[in-house]
Amino acid sequence: MTAPTQVRDSVLRRVAHAVLTRAVRGRKERGGEWGEAVLAEFGETRGDWEAVRWAAGGLRTVWRERRSRARQLPRPLRVARGTALVLVAGLLAGFVVSRYVMSVGYIPTGSMEPTLQISDRVLLDRITYRATGLRRGDLVTFTKAADPGSAPHTLLKRIIGLPGDTIECRDGRVWRDGSPLDEPYLTLGPEEDRTDCSPVTVPEHQLYLLGDHRIVSIDSREYGTVDEDTVEARVVGRIWPMRD
Amino acid sequence: MPRPPHASPQTLRLFEALLADPARWRYGYELSKQTALASGTLYPILMRLSEQRLLETGWEPSEEPGRPPRHIYRLTADGVTLAEQRLAAKRPAESPRRAGPVPQTRTAGGAA
Repeated sequence: MTAPTQVRDSVLRRVAHAVLTRAVRGRKERGGEWGEAVLAEFGETRGDWEAVRWAAGGLRTVWRERRSRARQLPRPLRVARGTALVLVAGLLAGFVVSRYVMSVGYIPTGSMEPTLQISDRVLLDRITYRATGLRRGDLVTFTKAADPGSAPHTLLKRIIGLPGDTIECRDGRVWRDGSPLDEPYLTLGPEEDRTDCSPVTVPEHQLYLLGDHRIVSIDSREYGTVDEDTVEARVVGRIWPMRD
Repeated sequence: MPRPPHASPQTLRLFEALLADPARWRYGYELSKQTALASGTLYPILMRLSEQRLLETGWEPSEEPGRPPRHIYRLTADGVTLAEQRLAAKRPAESPRRAGPVPQTRTAGGAA
């Protein structure tokens, strides 16, 4: 049995009635006692505003009725349901957080030594740099295909040049816009830290990226500047192991 | 001091309305109008009272053809006793509290 549709009802009233009916009955012929009770009184309301308020209160009633019915289920079932809900919500939240907010990255290579060693874990910030922007000296992860056509994988390098910067190398050191860079993170010795590159002016929306372990790292010296859009995260810091 | 059950201002308003003529069956909409409680406040209270057998409920077939039966309410004997107790307990305490400017509870219902 469905309530008759009053031909003269306004759109708003009809929508309110439809929403309430749906909430009370779902796909069933008849809903719970109290939901049905609110629904049966809907026709008494006068005007749009009252109808909408009545329906809104009806939604709350339906919710309360469902909850009190759930409380009457046997305890093991309630516990199982609750556990399942928490697990699913937790997994979902975890996925969203690790994909869009924050995650942990593993360092598989020595191209960032001595700053980051193989098997170090770093905290990756996937969101705030989008608002604050990237700065010179930041460590970022980005995706790049090793060869054209192959699957992209994630790399981690240091930002040396932002759009507009002129990068060149003289006597094994990096120069930006005509002055040599102070690079305190290069501590492996003149042999390992020696940097040779071809001069480049970083185009719009591109980044010039180098690994700290200059003799090992394959970076912008090899494949040129990198598209800003391929950046996935900014490195906040190392979280494991805890050494200075 | 914790409040005894069924003593919220909203519940008391409902008790007052129901006690006016305890024998008569009442409709939800009518009670909502009379108590100025929104449906989302009124029905959960009715639900609670009915669960504890303080309120009788029933379905009344509608006289107009095509309209669904309406849910009707009245206090049980236990309900009447409790409602009278709660209202009596509240009345002497209420006047000094009314004088204060701070409302002690949220008024979910508001004015209709």
